[in-house]
Amino acid sequence: MQNDPAGASLTIDRVAHRYGNAVALEQISLSVAGGELVSLLGPSGCGKTTLLRIIGGFIAQSAGRILIDGQSVDRQPPNKRTVGIVFQNYALFPHMTVAANIAYGLEARGQTRSVIQARVNEMLALVRLGHLADRMPRALSGGQQQRVALARALAVRPSILLLDEPFAALDKNLRLDMQIEVKRIQRLSGTTTILVTHDQEEALSLSDRIAVLNQGRLEQLAEPSTIYDRPASLFVNTFVGSTNILPGVLVSATAESAVVALDGGGHIRTRAPTPVQGQAAIPGDAVVACVRPEHLRIVDDEAGLHGTVEMGLPLGATIVHELRTATGASIKIAEPRGVGALPRPPGARVTLQAVSPDSINVFKPAA
Amino acid sequence: MHRQEGLEALGFRIVMWGLAALSFVLLLAPSLVVVVVSFTSGYSLKFPPPGYSFRWYVSLLDAWQLQFAAGNSLEIAAATTALSVLLGVPAALAIARSPTARARALDSLFMSPLVLPALSFGLASLMFFSLIGLPVSPLTLVIGHVVVCVPYVMRTTIASVAQLEFSLLESSASLGASRWYTFRRITLPLIRPGILAGAFIAFMSSFDNVPVSLFLRDARTDMLPIRMWQDLEGKLDVSIAAVSGVMIVVTLSLMILMERVAGLSRRLR
Repeated sequence: MQNDPAGASLTIDRVAHRYGNAVALEQISLSVAGGELVSLLGPSGCGKTTLLRIIGGFIAQSAGRILIDGQSVDRQPPNKRTVGIVFQNYALFPHMTVAANIAYGLEARGQTRSVIQARVNEMLALVRLGHLADRMPRALSGGQQQRVALARALAVRPSILLLDEPFAALDKNLRLDMQIEVKRIQRLSGTTTILVTHDQEEALSLSDRIAVLNQGRLEQLAEPSTIYDRPASLFVNTFVGSTNILPGVLVSATAESAVVALDGGGHIRTRAPTPVQGQAAIPGDAVVACVRPEHLRIVDDEAGLHGTVEMGLPLGATIVHELRTATGASIKIAEPRGVGALPRPPGARVTLQAVSPDSINVFKPAA
Repeated sequence: MHRQEGLEALGFRIVMWGLAALSFVLLLAPSLVVVVVSFTSGYSLKFPPPGYSFRWYVSLLDAWQLQFAAGNSLEIAAATTALSVLLGVPAALAIARSPTARARALDSLFMSPLVLPALSFGLASLMFFSLIGLPVSPLTLVIGHVVVCVPYVMRTTIASVAQLEFSLLESSASLGASRWYTFRRITLPLIRPGILAGAFIAFMSSFDNVPVSLFLRDARTDMLPIRMWQDLEGKLDVSIAAVSGVMIVVTLSLMILMERVAGLSRRLR
């Protein structure tokens, strides 16, 4: 590919947006390096689509700036921004063949016929659809339509590529194939890419970094493993992956670790409380300890959390148990499953321990 | 129990098929009768005809008054259609894309000629034109026809613009296309079937319009439907049946053509 392997950088500088009186985005700042793939992840209504449309130039933000390679694009309409977009429904032009769809942007920019022909062939090869060049979009499968949409957007060498829930319309098996395909094409073209999604697995598997949005606020911007292991807020911890929330009171805390007295009885050693908006919990505060199912083990020891098995599910590679504690709270545990291992019967009394204090995050509960 | 349901279903089917057959007969029989009569060898509109011939079709070749009226009607219909498309399509584009109450009000206003009695509109426009000093002429006739025909163009165009996915236009813009380029390459090709369907209906509706033509025509603009009525009233002329036969055949051919190029029946749903 002849694209600049570095790609263009994107800076979102204190961008805020409101629809009438409703705040859609509160002062979001984030920088995306050239060639990077960053996901905007969040539940519906979190503002991720609004932010995408602001970057594309389809909505003018109420405040803040959008910079591409350091240059403000706020005054540029969508057709001057060189920001490519792939919509959830692909938005292929229904009256044009695959090749004509891919050629469209080049024609709109007044390229010569020979340049267009060469670029279209190059893009068809990139998305491996050379044999379908003369098909109409309606004669293509969902995955093929998506690849055409991607080829069409990349043909004009956009400085930024926006993907708006691009996998939502695909069935599960195809989705995984297309995620690999999109990642491959994005790597090859070196195009800086923003992916909007509500699917955490998609964000975790595809992104260089993930920006988790909630109610118009940026909760955390970090690498996928950091998002998963070191969530910056209770929201991030519960939205990404599954987690057990154990309420309690903070007993003591150092810079490295802490002890929480659980409402369900017993003490657990945890990571130091995670500060949210600069404020960390201090001893005596009500807190929640968050521990993921795969970070818990059923042990023969007496020390630990006690519970009764409600249900056990052997899921092939893992065994999942759902327990109920003395306070009635439910806890999920996922353990690797050995050959022939069976789940424990309902009603069995068991003891739980965390794999390591470092895997338990402590937050102040949501106000 | 099962048997009773079977009987009920059978009864339902018999009634529905009966109603469908009845409507079919009522819709088609008059046209069939007129076509059959047009091939009569006799001198009256009697059905069934005493014998068959092409004589009345041949007689049309010499019927200069009918030819003159048909020529007028075609010219007026063509001008009306062109003007309706030129005015109706931009109006439809603006109205279809605007969510405001003002756009809804304009929509209803432009559609009102479809519901208001065309006779009162014909009289009103005659009074209006004489008030502003515009003599009755082909121009006033075309203006009158446009008012009653433009709703058809607008209706079908608005429907096709409403079906146009907004993300297509946004994709086009993100690919670097200007608004005008997007309109030419995306919007227009996708709404063209709707415009064609509307233009076709506008043409047909202008071609056999009587109420507006009654008030706004003059000697130079003798219109075919009115000429046919006068001939029939005065002379009980069988050549009028032949004219009807020609019109039915032409209309059917045009409808088949429009079905092929514009998917007419889908546009009218």
